[in-house]
Amino acid sequence: MILLDYHNVVIEETLKQPIVGLEPAVLDMTVVDFDGVSYRISTPQSKNIIRFSMLMQCFKELIQWGAQEMLQKEYGAYILPQTESGYDFSLEFDLQKLPEDKEERETLVKKVSLIKRNLLAQPFERAFEQQAQYEAEEQTNPTPILMQIHYRDQETIYIQAQYDRVTVIFSTLFKEETDRIFGRVFLQEFVDARRRPAIQKAPQVLYSSKDPPLEIRHLTEPQNENVGYVTFVLFPRHFVEGEVREKTISQIQLFRDYLHYHIKCSKAYMHSRMRARVQAFLKVLNRAKPESPTVEKKTITGKTLVRA
Amino acid sequence: MPFVSNTLRPYLAAVRSTLTAVLCLENFSSQVVERHNKPEVEARSSPEIVLNPLTISRNENEKVLIEPSVNSIRISIKIKQADEIEGILCHKFTRFMMLRAENFIILRRKPINGYDISFLITNFHMEQMYKHKLVDFIIQFMEEVDKEISEMKLSLNARARIVAESYLSQLTQTCELIPGHKRNFSNFNFLNKSKVLSYRNFRISEQG
Repeated sequence: MILLDYHNVVIEETLKQPIVGLEPAVLDMTVVDFDGVSYRISTPQSKNIIRFSMLMQCFKELIQWGAQEMLQKEYGAYILPQTESGYDFSLEFDLQKLPEDKEERETLVKKVSLIKRNLLAQPFERAFEQQAQYEAEEQTNPTPILMQIHYRDQETIYIQAQYDRVTVIFSTLFKEETDRIFGRVFLQEFVDARRRPAIQKAPQVLYSSKDPPLEIRHLTEPQNENVGYVTFVLFPRHFVEGEVREKTISQIQLFRDYLHYHIKCSKAYMHSRMRARVQAFLKVLNRAKPESPTVEKKTITGKTLVRA
Repeated sequence: MPFVSNTLRPYLAAVRSTLTAVLCLENFSSQVVERHNKPEVEARSSPEIVLNPLTISRNENEKVLIEPSVNSIRISIKIKQADEIEGILCHKFTRFMMLRAENFIILRRKPINGYDISFLITNFHMEQMYKHKLVDFIIQFMEEVDKEISEMKLSLNARARIVAESYLSQLTQTCELIPGHKRNFSNFNFLNKSKVLSYRNFRISEQG
């Protein structure tokens, strides 16, 4: 599994039985997602009413960039006006009032499992629309706002639309020395990979550690070297409206998780490798010990001979 | 011995013969404290029983320090670290081994300053184990640790490349979804491609 899924598998699996299969069940579980997002799926009153709540660190910022409209459009019928305490957003499904069509219910489950992706997609959509507007108006030097999404503590996504492109900058924090060095190897490959003819059309990737890129230099002071900045330069061909745009958004917003997931994977691989190698060394060392003859010696009468 | 580079061979040969010469240890109780029997190279209770240390180096990044004494020797190895990645991999690997020093009877739990890993062989070890096999172990360790670290580095790089390519190719495919979208080949590539194509056409027409 090299690529990560866009949707949350646990949510999909959990809601499938009651919503698609219409089999009510008692539920009370907390599900987590990338970037510290957590969900609670519960049936507070009766088995027929499922409540789904979501907690997301950057929810308020996303509302600012137009997430409310998206929520109304996509989940409008199910929004619970009184949000569950301790959460940012709640949905409620009454199993008796669900659509008749099974396929519609399946898409509903899919939609719920994609909620984090849909929320995070809003600033991207907005930036793409802004870019189209600048291009149409031939505004060569627009001064759009730099959208900041603090999706984790100390880690931020910056999105800015320009006349001919949209720039997405990720700041990511490497907690340990090993992560930092592995991260640098991976990011360098992201930068170099575009040289291959097959993926020349991919968005340009720039990477800098320590010094933030020019676009955001006025915002942050130079941090310690555990912070890395990755810039994606998206041209209009990467976000042609429709399937292309959706796919690009889904991919780009998973970048940080993808990178860190693979750093962890390589660390695990190194560990298993070292374990095997150390075993082999141990075997070599044990060869140096002479095998002691453990044969029990018996006297002719059948008693065991013990050497003094 | 499998294939080894030209400078590695004499280096390992020197370490091997030095170790063979130096590993003649005898039981030696402390001259200072009654009923103590400690490895003198560590205890250093009296100067006359600690012999002259010896360094064998292949270059400034790879060397072996051998400190002999009457009842024990200490071997410290500095492993080649060409860059940051090799440095961290080497550190991880030696740390991993030293955490298991219990099993590696002759391994020291901490390396000597300036070296990456240290072994301590006492006369009691020599009583339990064959001398030539012990020397073999040290030599094999030196050979394979370099190999292991460079292999780990290669696999990290290979993984990084695959990861980056499969991520970016996902984003490229999005471009290809658009029918009739203007391709953005660089000139050089385009020329090459057309050349190949015309050549292929030519071959086909020739055969036809």
